[in-house]
Amino acid sequence: MSCYIRGVGAFVPDRVVTNTELASFLGTTPDWIEENSGIRERRWVRHNESASSLAIEAVRNASRHAGLSADQIDYLIACTLSPDYQVPGIAPFVQRALVGCRSIPAIDIRTGCAAILYGLQIARGLIESGAARFVVCCGAEAQSKGLDLRPESREISMLFGDGAGALVLAAEQDEPRSGGLSIRVEDILIETDGNFAEDLLVRVPGSANGDHWLSEDQLERGLHRGSMQGRTVILQAVRKLAESAYRVAERNGISLDQIATFIPHQANGNLLRKLSKKLGVSESRVVMNVDRLGNTSGASAFLAMEQAVREQRIEADSYSMILAFGAGFTWGAALCRCYGRSRV
Amino acid sequence: MLPETVMDFLNDAARQAGTVVPARDESLFQSGLLDSFSLVDFITLVETECHIKVSDQELRPELFDTIEKVESFILNAAQAR
Repeated sequence: MSCYIRGVGAFVPDRVVTNTELASFLGTTPDWIEENSGIRERRWVRHNESASSLAIEAVRNASRHAGLSADQIDYLIACTLSPDYQVPGIAPFVQRALVGCRSIPAIDIRTGCAAILYGLQIARGLIESGAARFVVCCGAEAQSKGLDLRPESREISMLFGDGAGALVLAAEQDEPRSGGLSIRVEDILIETDGNFAEDLLVRVPGSANGDHWLSEDQLERGLHRGSMQGRTVILQAVRKLAESAYRVAERNGISLDQIATFIPHQANGNLLRKLSKKLGVSESRVVMNVDRLGNTSGASAFLAMEQAVREQRIEADSYSMILAFGAGFTWGAALCRCYGRSRV
Repeated sequence: MLPETVMDFLNDAARQAGTVVPARDESLFQSGLLDSFSLVDFITLVETECHIKVSDQELRPELFDTIEKVESFILNAAQAR
């Protein structure tokens, strides 16, 4: 039994935040932001929106695309690093909002920007073992609410945007509708190196912070905001993503030339250009949305996958590869092969 | 001493940044020769030209921040071979 992507969905907030608006907070210029990130604008949630509210819309869109009703969903996997609350995760809120959805397992996974690969691995295992027929996997972020908009944090805060994407995964015997989407998940490689766990993290609240997991002192020191060793992240990301791509291609007996479309986590436009150069592939084969959505962390590869399908960049009988790298460090690649497609 | 090709890389970077290659113990980042992205190319070049492999654990910018540190890294890597 194989695991197929049968539907894709996306949702982004309607509030557009341009570099011009952001530069005024961050004490820099719009051009500096674009030059250092490849980002021109991003979407931010409004006060009444959250990670789960974005995820709900993305899941509805993916379900509609797949022709799947909520009562058919067997398992829900949500990926976020900006949950509505510390506990529970956002998956129960998504499950609650889907009218007709049964009391299925609904879990959150916290592997940052590489979460799509971990979600796919879990979904694939559930489907291939027969434990589930239909799995919905979504990534959603409302991380703008946690950004430090002071000049000293501009290298981080210029990057991040909000949004959500979702995939509907199904077993092979559940044939897609005529002309529908049918992308088989051929192989997934995921890895972790905890030696870099503190190079990209949000430290507070947390039980490793002494007597209290949240204190006024910690808030004053800004430990509740993301911190990142940017140069280390970029060095490691370019190497690990390229190595993952080559390893997955090799163990499946294909070359990177045979992969029509690369669907990477949208970390930074400059990083994506560096990666395409390292892989020896033209930028036209790399799906990019970082210029208009920013780095949407755990949602970004989901959004890129939806974009690839919507723009008909995943053709029948072609290979595509999802690449992601995130906090932990966690990283990997997923090789997919398309057997049919449909417009979103 | 760094290989000529590696020094050529730094000289080109200095020209592009409108500056000069800094002293051996001065930061290549603060002098504007290297940034997060050119560091990727710099380390790849060092690996190729010096026939060494920078391990995942060694792939940290602070180990390549000055010419002195890069020379020391190359020397240690060569001795470990």
